[in-house]
Amino acid sequence: MEAVKSVNLVKMYRGKETVKALKGVNISIEKGELFTLLGPNGAGKTTFLRIISTQLLPTSGEAYVLGFNVLDEAEEVREHIAVVPQDVATYSNFTPWEYCYYFSLLRGMTKQKAKEMSEKALKSVELWELRNRTCVTLSGGEKKRAIIAAALSSDAEVLMLDEPTSGLDAIARRKVWTVLREMVEKGKTILLTTHIMEEAEIISDRLAIINKGELIAQGAVEKIKSLTKEKFRVMVEGSHKVLEKFTNNHSSVRFGSKRVIYVDNGDEAIELIRKALKNGLKAEASPITLEDVFVKLVGRVEFNES
Amino acid sequence: MNPRKMIKDAFIIAALKAFPDLKRQPLLLMVMGLISAVPLFFMLVFGGQIGHGLIGAMISTVGFIGVASSIQDITWDRYVKVREIIVAMPVHPISYMVGTALSPLIFSCPGTVFFMMLAIWLGFVPLQALGWIVAALLLCWATLSGIGFVISTYMRRASVYTLNNLSNILGIGLIFLPPIYYPEEILGDLSWIAIAFPTSNAAGLIRAYSGLAAFSQEMILIRWLALLAMMVISVLLVVFKAKWRET
Repeated sequence: MEAVKSVNLVKMYRGKETVKALKGVNISIEKGELFTLLGPNGAGKTTFLRIISTQLLPTSGEAYVLGFNVLDEAEEVREHIAVVPQDVATYSNFTPWEYCYYFSLLRGMTKQKAKEMSEKALKSVELWELRNRTCVTLSGGEKKRAIIAAALSSDAEVLMLDEPTSGLDAIARRKVWTVLREMVEKGKTILLTTHIMEEAEIISDRLAIINKGELIAQGAVEKIKSLTKEKFRVMVEGSHKVLEKFTNNHSSVRFGSKRVIYVDNGDEAIELIRKALKNGLKAEASPITLEDVFVKLVGRVEFNES
Repeated sequence: MNPRKMIKDAFIIAALKAFPDLKRQPLLLMVMGLISAVPLFFMLVFGGQIGHGLIGAMISTVGFIGVASSIQDITWDRYVKVREIIVAMPVHPISYMVGTALSPLIFSCPGTVFFMMLAIWLGFVPLQALGWIVAALLLCWATLSGIGFVISTYMRRASVYTLNNLSNILGIGLIFLPPIYYPEEILGDLSWIAIAFPTSNAAGLIRAYSGLAAFSQEMILIRWLALLAMMVISVLLVVFKAKWRET
């Protein structure tokens, strides 16, 4: 049984203009995996998460969490999930301990159990030492981790986190990643939304790319990367005129004096580097990144843009 | 949903919203009382009727908090996303509403009790009427909390600033305009207005039990029924109209 499953999920926001936020999305998330919903701003990621977490009604289609229908069995769904909303701020007078403790009590835990779970959650996000400090005195990363700890203290089987690392610095972000991976190793299922490619590439077991309410691709990172024929990227830096010589028959994208050229295999990448060095240019090759594939699939920037 | 869990959840939400602030911002308690005491100060200086003023202060601490704080609290929840987190929890909407309404009541309690004790001590309120007075105050609080809750959930797109201003205007309008700090006889032919507002209705009842107003038994009954009806309508609005999760 899947942890989360959506079948032809459609959501329309009616107003002056009807916006179709989800256009028949089919997503399947296995138990015990970290699944990332990747997409640009306004792609429909939050809408999907809000429907799955029983906060929003779909216009049509079906969605299940651990086999429970989010419409007909919403109460059962809520028993098994914990949500960290997007751009969540913290009560300045709250401490991380209070966040965890009170939310655990609301889950129906006894005071003793709530204390145990709060301690466990705060230790897992490395906030135990700061548990009695008010949120106003914590850094952005610490506040985020306090909210994540509150979700973890619920002991819910499925955690839904809407852009949990947005606005965090690299170090704070990595700490959150470590916590999330540890949770997955303990058997939790995590549904995460993000627009940070590196995050999706590093921590996901599988991911789905969503754009303008449509599912573009779904699968393991390597599977997603295999969706483009280009497998390597060569970054060449130098004068624009010389760079033009290198773009023949290759898709590429220019960033000022730098040009990223996409090639199908390693041999072509080596050949290109050799040619660049001969012309006195700087060049380096690396495997294609998820961001490259994402841009190509989502189609915001054409590879052969000059 | 289990009714015991619903009640327990309401108290947990009230504690969640009140205790951290009470612990770290105890001055808030003074602020709540002082706002209600301002008109009393002017009554003392300009020779108003202190008995009416003390009743007004009691209604003000409970009523202003009922409507203004409910709106502000829920607005704040929207900002810190506490509501969104709770929506996705096994918590009933009624528990959330009652808990949200109860938390400001905790803040207003010391002020209300202070004014009540003062009124008893000064002989404006008889001790045997205490039960009726508490009942009138609670009905007034429940009605205004319900109104605040419905407004805040209906104006989901309004900014925090708009809702804060609206809540203050509404609070002031319901507390300082109708006959709460002053006897309703002052309004002459328009004194019936007092029945139309939950705040002045409750104030009228407290005055009647304190001997500051001479109401017939029928009028007292009519006023209780009116207050009860307002409370029921307000709760029904919350149950059927307030939207905090799409269902």
